[in-house]
Amino acid sequence: MTKLINIDYLSRVEGESGVTVQFEDGKITKLRVNIPEAPRFFEAFLRGRPYADVVDFTARICGICPVAYQMSSVHAIEKIFEVEVEEPVRQLRRLLYCGEWIESHALHVYLLQGPDFYGIGSAWSSKEYLPIARQGLNFKRLGNQIMTIIGGRPIHPVSVKVGGFHKVPAKGSLLSMLYELQKAYEDSLKAIRWAAGLPFNGTVSDNEYVSLRAAGEYPMNYGDVVSNAGLDESPQGFLDCIQEYQVGHSTALHAGMKRDGSLSHYLVGPLSRLNLNHDRLPAEIIEVIGGCGIQLPLKDIQKSIIARSIELSYALYEAIRIIKKYEVPGKPAVGAKPKSGEATHITEAPRGMLIHRYALDDTGHVKSCTIVAPTSQNLAHIEKSLHAFLQNTVDKSVDFLKHETEKIVRSYDPCISCSTHLVVLK
Amino acid sequence: MEDELFNLIELFDVAYFREASDKPLRGHFDIIIVEGSISTEWQIEDLVSIREKSRYLVTIGACATAGGIQALRNWTTLETFKRFVYPSPDMIKALSISTPISDHVHVDYELWGCPVNKDALSEVLSAFLIDKRPGVPGQSLCIECKARGIPCLLVSKSEPCLGPATRSGCGALCPAFARPCYGCFGPKEGANIESLLQLFQKNGLTQSECVLLLDKMNTLAYRQARVEE
Repeated sequence: MTKLINIDYLSRVEGESGVTVQFEDGKITKLRVNIPEAPRFFEAFLRGRPYADVVDFTARICGICPVAYQMSSVHAIEKIFEVEVEEPVRQLRRLLYCGEWIESHALHVYLLQGPDFYGIGSAWSSKEYLPIARQGLNFKRLGNQIMTIIGGRPIHPVSVKVGGFHKVPAKGSLLSMLYELQKAYEDSLKAIRWAAGLPFNGTVSDNEYVSLRAAGEYPMNYGDVVSNAGLDESPQGFLDCIQEYQVGHSTALHAGMKRDGSLSHYLVGPLSRLNLNHDRLPAEIIEVIGGCGIQLPLKDIQKSIIARSIELSYALYEAIRIIKKYEVPGKPAVGAKPKSGEATHITEAPRGMLIHRYALDDTGHVKSCTIVAPTSQNLAHIEKSLHAFLQNTVDKSVDFLKHETEKIVRSYDPCISCSTHLVVLK
Repeated sequence: MEDELFNLIELFDVAYFREASDKPLRGHFDIIIVEGSISTEWQIEDLVSIREKSRYLVTIGACATAGGIQALRNWTTLETFKRFVYPSPDMIKALSISTPISDHVHVDYELWGCPVNKDALSEVLSAFLIDKRPGVPGQSLCIECKARGIPCLLVSKSEPCLGPATRSGCGALCPAFARPCYGCFGPKEGANIESLLQLFQKNGLTQSECVLLLDKMNTLAYRQARVEE
């Protein structure tokens, strides 16, 4: 007997994707996440561009996480030029990244994934949910405001450049946010309890969690790549470990880690970051996690909403900390002298590790580049999770399975648009 | 648009918005807002069918209005680009050029910008409610710069600022951050691009560096405006 689940267009997901699953006599014979989204050719049209253009171009890959793209590229180029930014500039970049984590996580927790736990189709389709959605939008507004103060606007900010910033904010403009941030932080701690109390169906799978790990801080801009299976690699080392491959049903490449002659699939994103770095969180957040009965590591992918809520709290905490200590840097940027070379850098985008590699010529023009988005790294894992779930629930109705399939995919917070331009180009 | 979103939802019935809602596409619409350029065959089919169902169609953003950053492929061959990105280029289906929505169907209003200004978007939507034409100004960026009292980067520092040829809308963001405008909002009507580029060249830029300045998010629109002069 054949049974077919076909979802043409996943909703509440950034970009265009669908899912096809075919069962024959109770066994899955085909399962794929289809990505028909138009291919985008970022790596191709960056070739030949001057290095200074790169942050403006890569920001355009994503309207939700433009800072992640700016950060991974600016750090990689600074590695090639052997530029060390000053500490206040480093802190300001982390603050900008906090703004993006806040707005991106708030969007996903409250507008995209949250409605799933209330059985509603959008954040505004139930009166009961409206206050929750409004709280989420308030977090999002504050994240956007941080990005606006530092970068001019929340989508495609304009201030980041190789060596630092074009211009840095005055102390007063950041300090004026403190009161609201403090209040939001307190709300966000309560929201961790809310997220922990949502109904989960208890799907647990064995995963290899992969994230950055940095000395003395929860990873954002810097770190080496670690996993619960003992991986410990530099960004370049990790890029050498993975292989991207193309499948016919997707304009996004898939990625796996080369291990024992085959490709092993892994998970990046908030769940992985939290599982591998929770010891880096401040004591007061760890206390709330314990108080809510949250057991780490989190193994159910749908519990990403808890991980995102914890990280949202952390990003607010960190924003407050940085703003309180902020002193205007002596100069917004240090000079950068173009030279040829190649470097890889990874930062933690809200959705997980974002890998950038650039090769520049001696005038600082791009010879080639590689961009591996978090969603590409998770695509194979998404298919694996769906397989594991559906194989055990094959006798349920098609409608139920469709619904649950969407929920699982959505809990990864995939950004399809980001992932449809990826490349291995050496 | 956090503060405006729920107000808008009270004024409008959101009929189809896959990124935020499960509601499937059904029926006819008063207004359709389109983002993104046309770069595959199936997008044209979708666009035509959606245009037939709607009273007004508004494009938002540089991709929908001017072909976007994707239109950089228009100046090379698609095969070259595919090879740079995909290990199996033959599996990738795409049109050889990326084009604005207005190349394919009638567009009632175009909102420029990468990204668009959220106040301008609110203006367009509220204009629709009271049945008037949106009042989004189309003068050059210089006007916004002057209004903010920012010293001219082109005149005082000889920096290659696209401001004089670029549509206002961002609030002179880049000059406020001490960097020249890089053209997020596309060419203003009647822009004299050639003479601006001549000035850049007098200030030391090469011809090809000038073209690189135009070839960003609104590459197609700037190049067309330059030819039309």
